[in-house]
Amino acid sequence: MSGYRLPAGGRIDRNAPIRFRFDGKDYRGFAGDTLASALVASGVTVFGRSFKYHRPRGLLATGVEEPNALVTIDRGPGRVTPNLRAPSVALHEGLTAASQNRYPSLRLDLGAVNDKLGAFFPAGFYNKTFMWPRSAWEKVYEPAIRRMAGLGESPVTRDPDHYAATYAHCETLVIGGGPAGIAAALEAGGRGGRVILIDEQEEPGGGALADPAQWAWLEESLARLAALANVRVLTRTTAFGFYHRNFVGAVERLTDHLPPAGASGAREKLWRIRAGEVVLAQGAIERPLVFDGNDVPGVMLASAARTLALRYGVAVGRRVVVMAVHDSGWRDALALAAAVVTIAAIVDLRDAVDSRLLSAAEAAGIACRTGHAVTGVRGRLAVSGVEIAPGGTGAAERIACDALLIAGGWTPSVHLWSHARGTLRWDDAWGAYLPDAAIEQVRCVGACGGDWDFGGGVAVPALPSAKPAHRQKAFVDYQNDVKSGDIELAVREGYRSIEHIKRYTTNGMATDQGKTSNLNGLRIASEALARPVTQVGLTTFRPPYTPQTFGALMGHHKDALFQPVRKTAIDGWAMEHGAVFENVAQWRRARYFPQAGEDMHAAVARECRAVRESVGMFDASTLGKIEVVGPDAAEFLNRMYTNPWKSLLPGRCRYGLMLREDGFITDDGVAGRMADDRFHVTTTTGGAARVLAMMEDYLQTEWPGLNVWLTSTTEHWAVIAVQGPRARDVIAPLVEGIDLSPDAFPHMAVREGRICGVPTRLFRVSFTGELGFEVNVPAGHARAVWEAIDVAGQQFGITPYGTETMHVLRAEKGFIIVGQDTDGTVTPDDAGMDWAIGKKKRDFVGKRSLARPDMVVGGRKQFVGLLTDDPAEVLEEGAQIVADPAQPMPMTMIGHVTSSYWSATLGRSIALALVRDGRALMGEALYVPMPGRTIRATVCPTVFYDAEGSRLND
Amino acid sequence: MIEIAPLAIAATDLAVGAEPLAGRNVRLSLAPSAARYSLRARDAALLSAVIGRALPARIGEMVEGIACLGPDEWLALLPAGGVLALGEEQAVSVVDISDRALGFVLEGRGAAAAIASGCPLDLERFAVGRATRTLFETVEIVLFREDETRFRVEVWRSFAPWLWHALAAVIAEG
Repeated sequence: MSGYRLPAGGRIDRNAPIRFRFDGKDYRGFAGDTLASALVASGVTVFGRSFKYHRPRGLLATGVEEPNALVTIDRGPGRVTPNLRAPSVALHEGLTAASQNRYPSLRLDLGAVNDKLGAFFPAGFYNKTFMWPRSAWEKVYEPAIRRMAGLGESPVTRDPDHYAATYAHCETLVIGGGPAGIAAALEAGGRGGRVILIDEQEEPGGGALADPAQWAWLEESLARLAALANVRVLTRTTAFGFYHRNFVGAVERLTDHLPPAGASGAREKLWRIRAGEVVLAQGAIERPLVFDGNDVPGVMLASAARTLALRYGVAVGRRVVVMAVHDSGWRDALALAAAVVTIAAIVDLRDAVDSRLLSAAEAAGIACRTGHAVTGVRGRLAVSGVEIAPGGTGAAERIACDALLIAGGWTPSVHLWSHARGTLRWDDAWGAYLPDAAIEQVRCVGACGGDWDFGGGVAVPALPSAKPAHRQKAFVDYQNDVKSGDIELAVREGYRSIEHIKRYTTNGMATDQGKTSNLNGLRIASEALARPVTQVGLTTFRPPYTPQTFGALMGHHKDALFQPVRKTAIDGWAMEHGAVFENVAQWRRARYFPQAGEDMHAAVARECRAVRESVGMFDASTLGKIEVVGPDAAEFLNRMYTNPWKSLLPGRCRYGLMLREDGFITDDGVAGRMADDRFHVTTTTGGAARVLAMMEDYLQTEWPGLNVWLTSTTEHWAVIAVQGPRARDVIAPLVEGIDLSPDAFPHMAVREGRICGVPTRLFRVSFTGELGFEVNVPAGHARAVWEAIDVAGQQFGITPYGTETMHVLRAEKGFIIVGQDTDGTVTPDDAGMDWAIGKKKRDFVGKRSLARPDMVVGGRKQFVGLLTDDPAEVLEEGAQIVADPAQPMPMTMIGHVTSSYWSATLGRSIALALVRDGRALMGEALYVPMPGRTIRATVCPTVFYDAEGSRLND
Repeated sequence: MIEIAPLAIAATDLAVGAEPLAGRNVRLSLAPSAARYSLRARDAALLSAVIGRALPARIGEMVEGIACLGPDEWLALLPAGGVLALGEEQAVSVVDISDRALGFVLEGRGAAAAIASGCPLDLERFAVGRATRTLFETVEIVLFREDETRFRVEVWRSFAPWLWHALAAVIAEG
């Protein structure tokens, strides 16, 4: 046992005791404690087991930089959170916490065998070992390593909490509520304007919370801030990222500090803040020292021990030794002594130390050993003593102790400054990088800007020792178990850049993102490379500053709100009639309408037959619609599509093919000319937004002089497709103001009138090859009109059909579906659609690319049909095609199946494919190798049914 | 294999509320039907003459139900049944988009905060009478400030159920 509760002192409320559990055992603490302070007070020394070696580890720090004491907090079913840092967990009644990465227990962990075999697990071991036999990697080694690796257990159930989010704006955002931040907030608040002050801790105050002399000032300042109506103070709030143009992301933790029964509302709130000016007051983090045994439980940062004593009223040990290379270690030792914590000795590497510190130490009865270094630590589950030597290499001296405090100097926190692309400059006095030049409206105050007096010191990569580094257990990155020897190993193996050294050793890559290891690692690499630190480089700081929950980052986008699911106005009718749905882009669409006992195959067969024999109805509302209006409308469409548009008369429709600049098909659709200067253009469902964006791009950047404007009308018009030989009969009684007779209303025409009393744009178009109409009505009337058509069609056996039937019917007619039969590398000629190109057109998007050598050469994949030898065999979409099934593997694949269906119309299977030189292979046999068998099919034209198109012209 | 139980309410179950929703200091309701027109032109005077109505001169302003959303774009929000001339053969675009969107009304002291939960605009600087196209999370909206404590939100029909429920969740939080 080393730590204990001091009889007095701290900001805890000794009148409010709290009971909590850690690893199944009951403990007591006080309101104001953290899990860490309460456990130290209870004499706990081992808080976790390290990642790779499973070494017992104790508390190193009392801030978010803590690398060892990672715990899992259980707030009930579905509310288990791993990898929280014990010093950041506020104690509440009934808190249930557990250590991680150990089996069966912290004290006896079988994983410690890794420590004994540590020599086989240096940095990058998985690049050199576990290589034989090769098959064993996938089945044995990797799964085993994965099971052993990892920190904490992932939740496996849905997160029942909900999370709030908001945007906020202010003139000044102060990040960090320590003395410097509070002063900045008061100053900004006094100037007027909106001020937001953020601090990640339970209460603001930062370093002042561990200095009772500042508490009066703190209380008074917070009262002044509270009195300012234009200042908002957010505690328990971490600013995790600084983004472009002073946009800061922060998460406010609303309920984790409360007993679950007392928690209501959102668990966390995401703040997305845009600030006129950002003031960073993030403070500085103390550096550990690197030496043999620096990870024994009980080795702790000096400032952490000070915080435990003065903020939480906890002594870290009964007989404490301090190892310093910096004055702050002395100041902390003296503060501890004043708080009646016994300091046995202060050891300092420096020969000369400020005489005022020396005399103060002497007056406090503390032995001083300047010019000495710690060379070893005794104890495994708790420190029992240290070995020190002059200069680290002389004769060893043992000092009995139960805690060793280390003071390696201070590293200003420049994380958010760096996110904002502020530059850094090296400062020798600090032995660290300081903020230099900003590109955003941001400034640093206090320690994070180098404006704080911690005293002076030296910076060393590691404490000197007679033992070579590779024989020391001298840790640089505690969380990822990276030793100084690993960094030297990386350099020996040829890594020169700090980016490579970081990734090879994983130094700085754990959840603490190197807060206590980056600079030490940099110094060790610098020494090994014999290059100055500034030439070795510094790795990039990336958000989030500390790990954040997915829930907070998702904000509103959870459960039913995860993503908008777009539904048409007719979707409700489809649902009520038992439709099975599929997702198409962000929409849900009815795929088929099974009747009692039908599977998809049976339902689709019935729907297809009904359309060809009588009439079917289909909700085509999701298709994109763009109203293209203006005197230059036809000219614009002429440039965007391959087809000629100028000759299209008002009242007529044309199928349009759209290419990208590189000549490949990107979208298609039928457009109707409503008037000389007005076109109703349609696109595919998934391409609607993309096509409009592409059109706007060309219009705004290439042809800004054209008088034409584009308006999305996708959601204004609902579309009811009525298809089949009886289609006209169905709609005739409902339509007013339009002559539906074949002569007056030919195929590929559009008329305006009314249906069921509602204005309509009625298109005579067909994607099925049957007589067909597409009834466009304003969406608010869609369902009523659909129902009226359904009633009117009953006498003809009208059958609702879904996207699956739609796919089959169009495939029987050889119509492509962009994105299914095309994949972004198909030209009009490849698709057999040269006819869609206006040969006399001077130019259109993609025209020049069609003349590229690659586009006119032979051997391109061409769109063809396939009929399997066995008519019952339905090929699999995506299946590869070969010419000779007997060739050795790897076979030459000459194409693939793009669409494949059972055709009820033809009573056999049909398929469409892209095949190299496909059109030259008409009538030839090709082969589709599948697992266990090879399928033989014959190349045929893409139109399987009514090749003359006679059924369209009724 | 991790088994996650199906959601009690799925995304596909969402629908715009049949009744208004009231929270502590904000009320969400569906606006009555309206006529909507998207108006485009380079020459604002020509467009104004075509439709026979005044147009706001500056982006973000509104004049009698017509908002200027961009350098060549206006949105007319008129009482249901309103009709505008189409301007055939003229260098303008007048397109009826009445059924493209639905309108929500958010009113009360908490209306601005409710909108700010998902909209990145600085609403304290969004004056009464202004209108703009913007976002609520990933959903595009057109936001109108009708009063200090009254906003109108126009949203495309198929995104309306999501937006209604997102705002409802924010109102329930508040």
